[in-house]
Amino acid sequence: MRSILSYIRHMARPEWVKTFFLAKTAPLSTPPHFREFPHLTGKECTHCFQCMMICPAPGAIEVIRTDKPGEWKPVIHLGHCIRCGLCVEICPELVLDAGRVHMKNAQDGTYMQFQFHITINPVTCMGCGSCTVACPVNKEIDPQLAAKGTSTSDEVIMRVYKGINTVFHEDKCTGCKTCEEQCPTRSILVARVLEPLQISEET
Amino acid sequence: MTTLQSLKNAVRQRSIHVCYVDTGSCNGCDIEVLACLSPRYDLEQYGIYVHNNPREADVLLIIGGVTPQWEDKLRMVWDKIPEPKVAVSIGNCPISGCVFSRPQTLTRAPAKSYIPIAAEVPGCPPRPTEIIQAILSVAPLIFKDWELRR
Repeated sequence: MRSILSYIRHMARPEWVKTFFLAKTAPLSTPPHFREFPHLTGKECTHCFQCMMICPAPGAIEVIRTDKPGEWKPVIHLGHCIRCGLCVEICPELVLDAGRVHMKNAQDGTYMQFQFHITINPVTCMGCGSCTVACPVNKEIDPQLAAKGTSTSDEVIMRVYKGINTVFHEDKCTGCKTCEEQCPTRSILVARVLEPLQISEET
Repeated sequence: MTTLQSLKNAVRQRSIHVCYVDTGSCNGCDIEVLACLSPRYDLEQYGIYVHNNPREADVLLIIGGVTPQWEDKLRMVWDKIPEPKVAVSIGNCPISGCVFSRPQTLTRAPAKSYIPIAAEVPGCPPRPTEIIQAILSVAPLIFKDWELRR
């Protein structure tokens, strides 16, 4: 009998009635270590387009000119952004921020770096050289290659050498994937290699 | 407003019936919806109940970039829901196709070209809190004073 009474007394309390009829837990907030949609920190954007290059989601980030002359800023498109935070980590000017990414990177001394890796399938490649002629970096390095289709320069990214399409300078690739689009047999692939690195203690 | 109407509004506020449809997702958003049901987020404390039958539902949750097989069927599911009804799309896929919107992939996003969508929750995947918030914010707009507005 006493226990039943204590139950009734317990349930008659206003806070019990409130929690019973209304939501029991408070509106849950996002923990600060979660990566939110990137937001601008107000630092100056140098429009190096690193964030656009690294973004894995199509159309999620755009670096656009603002109304002010000479000022650029990245714009995040919701509905495309997957909140991976790679644009935040790669940006050399710390223009973007999401959660605790910068704080954590400074604490651990980590940073991101990416380069492009070109693979040519020797079986399907017929050595037509469409990719080497189309490549915008090749055109800059050796205008002769773009004009005539033949070159003797070894400074280009890739060139048909002795009948075989050869990659000379992978490090110069900007990852525009023009060569992939131009290839009639789809035998060239540009892959992005992303490296998380740590600042060593000696340097 | 009559007493009956205000009573209906009060009851409906605590009784939102949700049906979800997966139109070709990667399962990431499905897991987040499942997390809404878990004790941590506990969907039912807000008066949101999940059904698998569109005829019992008020709110349709759409997950996934629409695949070709769903092009006509999404409309069929939507038509089965009794009035008043509302559709909420979860995740990036129904908005843009997200990572699937590339050449040579079979997605027919956005979902709003097939049925009217009241709210879109961006994110890949969106967090359970964001999903619950979207449902709670969109439901009163549709269900409150439904009889008077009709």
